Formats: sequence, C-alpha cells, structure tokens
Amino acid sequence: MSSRTFASLVFTLGLGLILASVMQGLPLGGAPMQVGQAIVAQAPEAVGTANIVTSVVLAYRGLDTLGELTILFAAATAGGLVLSGRRPSHATQSQAGFILRTGAGLLFPFLLALGAYIILHGHLTPGGGFQGGAIIAAAFFVPLLSRPESPFNEAVASVIEGAAGAMFIVIGLLSLTNGGSFLEPLLGTGELGELFSAGSLPLLYVAVGLKVGAELAGLLVHLGGLGEAG
Amino acid sequence: MTDPLDSIIRQAQELTLLLIVVPLLAAFLLASLSRASELLGRIAGPVVLIASALMAGQLWLLVQRTGTVVVAVGGFPAPLGIVLHADPLGVVFALATALMALLLWPRGGPRVREQTLTLLLVAAGSGMALSGDLFNLYVFYEIVAVVSYGLAAGRDRGLAYVAAVRYLILGAVGSAMALIGIGLLYRATGTLNLAHMAALAPGTLDGPLGLAAFTLMVIGFGVKAELFPVNTWVPEVYATASARVSGLLAGVVSKLALVVVVRVLITVFADTSAHLVLLALGLLSVVSGELAALRANDLWRVLAYSSIGQLGLVAIAFAVPGAPGVMAGLVVALHHLVVKPALFLVAESWGGPVSQLAGAGRRSPWAALLFVILVLSLIGVPPFPGFWAKYLLLRGALGQSGLFQVAAAAVGVATVVEAAYLFRIVRLLYRADGERALASRPPAADLVPATVLASVLLVAMFSVAPLGVAVDGIARRASDVGAYVQAVFPAGVPAAFAREAP
Amino acid sequence: MQALATDLELLQTVLYSGAFGLVLLGLYAMASHRHLVRILLGLTLLEGGANLFLVAVGFRADAVAPIVTPGAQALPMVDPVPQALILTAIVIGVGVLALGLALTVRVFEVHGTLDVRALAQRLTQAGEATPEEPSPAPPVSVTRDAS
Repeated sequence: MSSRTFASLVFTLGLGLILASVMQGLPLGGAPMQVGQAIVAQAPEAVGTANIVTSVVLAYRGLDTLGELTILFAAATAGGLVLSGRRPSHATQSQAGFILRTGAGLLFPFLLALGAYIILHGHLTPGGGFQGGAIIAAAFFVPLLSRPESPFNEAVASVIEGAAGAMFIVIGLLSLTNGGSFLEPLLGTGELGELFSAGSLPLLYVAVGLKVGAELAGLLVHLGGLGEAG
Repeated sequence: MTDPLDSIIRQAQELTLLLIVVPLLAAFLLASLSRASELLGRIAGPVVLIASALMAGQLWLLVQRTGTVVVAVGGFPAPLGIVLHADPLGVVFALATALMALLLWPRGGPRVREQTLTLLLVAAGSGMALSGDLFNLYVFYEIVAVVSYGLAAGRDRGLAYVAAVRYLILGAVGSAMALIGIGLLYRATGTLNLAHMAALAPGTLDGPLGLAAFTLMVIGFGVKAELFPVNTWVPEVYATASARVSGLLAGVVSKLALVVVVRVLITVFADTSAHLVLLALGLLSVVSGELAALRANDLWRVLAYSSIGQLGLVAIAFAVPGAPGVMAGLVVALHHLVVKPALFLVAESWGGPVSQLAGAGRRSPWAALLFVILVLSLIGVPPFPGFWAKYLLLRGALGQSGLFQVAAAAVGVATVVEAAYLFRIVRLLYRADGERALASRPPAADLVPATVLASVLLVAMFSVAPLGVAVDGIARRASDVGAYVQAVFPAGVPAAFAREAP
Repeated sequence: MQALATDLELLQTVLYSGAFGLVLLGLYAMASHRHLVRILLGLTLLEGGANLFLVAVGFRADAVAPIVTPGAQALPMVDPVPQALILTAIVIGVGVLALGLALTVRVFEVHGTLDVRALAQRLTQAGEATPEEPSPAPPVSVTRDAS
C-alpha cells in the first residue's frame, strides 16, 4: 500500500470517527420542522402552488434562487474567461455514424418538449426551471456532439442568457415599485392545481429555464471546443 | 398619516436591497451592453460601483438614525422568508467592498468577463455582509467563491490555472463541510434565520453537536478566510494572479468570509466554547504564516504568507468574547483591508527572487516610500493605525485567560518576525549598489490606487479619536444579540415558533 | 407504536450513515487519487453525500412528498425546506464542477499532464527559484499581466 493511500485512509478514518460521534449526538426521531411545518400549512393558500417545494424555492426563498442563477452565470462567465485563451483544436473528430447522427437530430424536438413541459409545470409537479433548463441545454448539445460542424450561435445564447436573468430581476423589482417587496409574488394566486396559477411564479421559472438552458449549452460548447472560439 | 420615520425606514430598506440587486443587474447586462456600445461597456462598471458606494454611504447615515434596518425579502416575514439585516457592521463592509472593487477595477483593454465577475463580487459581497439567513449567506459565499476561482485563473497564464484548480478543490471541499454544518444546525433548531436561531440557541447548541456544526462551518468559510488548515492555496494563488486580483482576494474576500463566521459566532454561539475553535485556528494561522514568510524568497509569497498571519490575527481578535473582541477584530480587519491590496499593487512588478530587488527603491522612490509607510503600519509601529489595531487585539486577548494568553504571546512574537522579514526587504530596496537590480519599475496605474489607500491610512492616523468612537459604536451594536433578535422580531418570536422539546 | 418508533430511528441511522459514508468515500477518493479528473469525481461524491444528509434531515415518518394532490390533504408532509436547499446546492455543485473542468482542460493544454503531484512540483519550483542563477528568461512568477 503506497504512502499516499495509507495517509488518505488514516485521514478518512479520523474524519469518520468525528462524523460517527456527530451521529451519536444527532437527535433521531421527528425533526423540529418549525419553519417547514408552517410553510406546509400556509403555502397552498398564500402562494398557490401545488408543489410546495416550488413555493419555497420561488417565493419564500426567492433570493436564494436569484443567487443560484447568479452562481451558474458566474461559473459560465469564469469558464468562458478561462477557456478564452484556447487555440482551436485541430484534432480531427471521426465522423459519427448514420444512426447516431439521425438519432441525435430526432431527439432534439423531444428533448425540447420535455424540457419545456418540466419548466412550465414546475409549480404543479416535481421539476422546475433548473431541471428543465438542464434538459434544454442537453437538447442543444447532443446534436452538436454528433455533428460537430453544425453552427451554434453563441451571440444569441448570450443575449438570451442576459435577458432572461434581467427578466427575473425585473419581475422581482416590479413588485418593489408597486409598493410591495422585492420578489413578492404578483398577480394573485389563482386556483390551486391549474396550469395558470400561482401568479408570477411560473414566469420566474420560465426565466430561470431560459437562462439555465442558454448558459449550460454555451458552457458545454466552450468546454467541448466546438462552435466558434470564445 | 405615515410617520416620517417610516418613510426613512422604507428608504433604507430599498437601499439595502438595491445594494445587492444593482451590481447584479449590471453584471447580467454588461456583456450585451458592451457588445452594443464599447464606450458604455467600459464606463458602466465604474458608474455602477460609484452608485453602490453612494448608496452604501447613504444607508450608513440612515441606519445611524433609525437603528438596524430589517428587510423581509418577498414580503414573507421571518422566519419563513429570508431577511436582510442592515446594521452598521454590515453596511461598513458593503461600502468597503464597493470602494475596493472600484480601486482595483480590472484594467488593460475591454476585459468584459473580468469586469462582470468583479460586479458579481460586489453584489454577492454586499449580500454576505447584509443577510440574516444562514443558507442565504452560504449562497452568496458560493457566488464569491466561484468568482474568485475565475479571477484567480484569469487568462493566458501558465501556472495560474494550477493554483486556481487547487484553490477550487479546497474551496469546494470546504463548502461541502459548511453545508453539512448548516444541515446540523437546521436539524437542531428547525430554522435558518439567524435571529430565530439565536433565540433558540441557549440550551440547544451548547453541546458537541453545536460545536461540531460550528467547526465544520469555520473550516468551510475558513478556506476564503485563509485559516489554517485550509489555506494551502494562498501562496500559489497570490504569486500567480495579478496584483489587483490578489488585493481583492486578500483584502476584501477574506474579510467578508470572516465576517460571516463572526456573525454566526456572535449571534448563535454567543456563550459557548465555539470561540476557542476560532482562537485555535487563528493562532495556528499566525504561527504557520509568519514562519513561512520568514523563509519565503519571493516578495509576492512573503506578502501572501504575511496575509495568512494577519488574518490569523483578525481571527484571534474576533475570538475574544463580547464587544471588545468585535471592536479589535473590526479594526484589524479594516486595517488589513486597506494595507494589503496597496502592498500588492506596489509590489506588482517586484516579483521574482528577493535579491533582484536590490536598489529598486532608488529607481522608483515613490513606490518605495509607499512600501515603507505600508510596512510600518502593518508591523504596528506607532503612530500608524496598525499600532492601534495590535494594541486593541493585545488588550482584548490579555483580558481573557488560558489560550488567549498564549495567543497574545504569539502575536508579540509574530510582530517581531514580521519586522525581521519586512525590514530585510526595505533594506534591500534602498541598497546602494544597483547593478544587480533587474526588477522593473511599478507602473503608474498601479501606484495611483496604492497612493489612495496609503492616504486613507494616513487620514485614519490623524483621526484616531472619532474613528475609535465610531468603531466602538459599531462593535457594541453588532455584539448585542438581544438587539439583533429584537430588530428581526420586533414583537418577539411568534409563539408558534417557540421551542418545544423534540 | 413502539416498534414504529424504533423503525424510524433505524431508518434515520441508515440514512445518515449512507450520507456520511458517501462523504467519507468522496474525501478518500480526493485524497488518494492523483489524477485531476478523478479528484473532481471524488468531489462530486462528497457533494452528493452532503446533499443527501441535508435531505435526510427533513425526513418524517409516514409522510408524503410535499405536493398538494386532491385527496392527500390529511397526510403529513416531509419538510420542503431542505429539498429547496439542496436544489440550490446541487446547482452550485454543477457550477463549480463546470469551472473545475474548464480549468482542468486548460491545465492539460498548457502543461500536458493532469498528475497533481507533478503539477505541485512545478508550482514549488517556480516559487523557489534560487537567487544565484542568473535566469536568461524571467522566472514564471514574474510574468504577470498588467491588469
């Protein structure tokens, strides 16, 4: 056993002992759930989403979601910065087979539809802007993998990214100018369980989905060295 | 009829929000803006930062009149929603972040991505200073983390990528640890609101569970705060990044990370032994940092290790319980926030083996003069502000028993060591034989912000009394847990959220 | 009800052990591997374990998912807050991982190796350039870009 493996084992065992002692002290049984309980009780009427996690993500802890968006944006910008000094790779990529190319092209509309569905129904069923946005990014990236020469319009993606992010903030600011509070849900709650319910929250998720989709797609393209050089 | 005080409070609440939202919006739109018009893209950032600084200043004045301002984001009251908590301590750091970002603004060409990242740093830094919710603090901290990994790497540099990768890996491990700590706290208290936790804390967090949670969070946030043992990234990143980035990281980011730890320490872990964890780590940072600085052979690494040592001092200061600790920590932190970036700027082109600096001071007298002033203040020579910083630190530490006395002794030894290696460099700068001086002259563009910072230092030197009163007031307000809870829950914690035994 | 209580405790112990086990596995992977990509994979395991722990904190016995469905109004629901928290935490992890991979790509392009030990050696070599040797080209640590 090399010294490195041994040292790592010792370190991990030591940390394991610490964590085990933490678990001893960890109270088992029902969690206090002070805040969670209150949210479960209030959210369906106060916010109007059937998916209570969405009400936490977009309404109660909307500022965290704005921060989440910002982290992805920061990561994409930093990634673009780091990869900008790259020389375009001259490695020839072997031509993908006929099945892969056609299949990837066929997947594109289905992935788009699935992503859009998950985004739009984020307030009713598990899912939402982030999950749907990741699927949309994959929808754009998978055909690009099989067909590296197809063009990916980076400028459009960047504009969508910036505009969607600004849209999220603007919707939040709108309620501020209306005499309410920043990120306060607008437009009333509607009927629980309907597609058009929960006021402005689905709009927020649409903004999130667009931003995440454009961002991740751009980042993946950069990483893969495909498309135009950053 | 609305009370005029109400409208002032409303204004202060809006300012608190805008301090976070405006730089954020600017960062989102900067890329598209500079594509539309290059001139707009160039001035947008500095304009936004000046506006942020003005807003922070205005908020400072308002908070002095109204007391701490609390904003319930989204209109959802605490503890269900997230609250922002603008007290003088937070506003001071939000202001400092905006001003330092302005001084250390990326230069040399369009640099859109670096500017975007810097704006994000200001937005998230203000969030870190002003938030009153534990997970919200974590999210803003992560934004700052990703921004600093990106800035540390920069572009087109050979070893900066390697240093940045190590920084990223350490930082991500720390973040996972901090997340586990947050999970433990949530399990114990059932809430994420700091004021609510403070109200529930007595009796809940005194035991090993609370201590473990705090230790995990200190290790997590301590990565950015350059605390032992997660500070191995520091010398390489500061040696390979540009002076401005190093200044931002060492000056601003590290302080923001420590402020978060201190917030949690003061509000939630007020009467526990959590102080000792911070003290121990600070002590280890001081010892390891200063000894390494003595052995380092490259001015940038010397400054990096010195930064570790100084941040250990800040940690020791904040570990002193009560208002004296907060005051000492605040003074040491603000002093380092001014001095270290200035040192990095002055030393921008003085890298490489230290022997190359022989006679460099004679070729650039202004830079050498700045260096001497900054070094004197860093060591703590009276009448420079650094002296007051160390004095407050020693007075606070000597007032406590046990490990604090050891820490005080270590601070004394560290000062001697600092004087040794810093004066060695000053002597080299002014050496008469300039034939081996290969170091180039510091560019004027770097010396201007360094001069600004040095003059801030000198102004502080001449206004010790009023500054002392102001800092004392900030410290008292910040360490008053009762006032913190009162500000967030004016009518007391709602009965529905009062503790029931698990 | 007695047996149920112990069942809950057993279940929670398993959940917490699993989460901490993932954390330890991830840390071990990061400490023992030398290849940068494997270290990043270990990081993913670590973050997965931390997220799992956070979700496990919100667990309640005999509770359903926090989605309002007609007819399920009476049943208790698990805590929705940790689920929202890990949503954010997972996205944070993705962002950091993406940036880490971008850095890894560049490190490989510039240095030709992803062995952490070799890279660390290069870093220390740059820092300990001995003063006696006149370097024909300026040492790497001096080539800073004026920004």
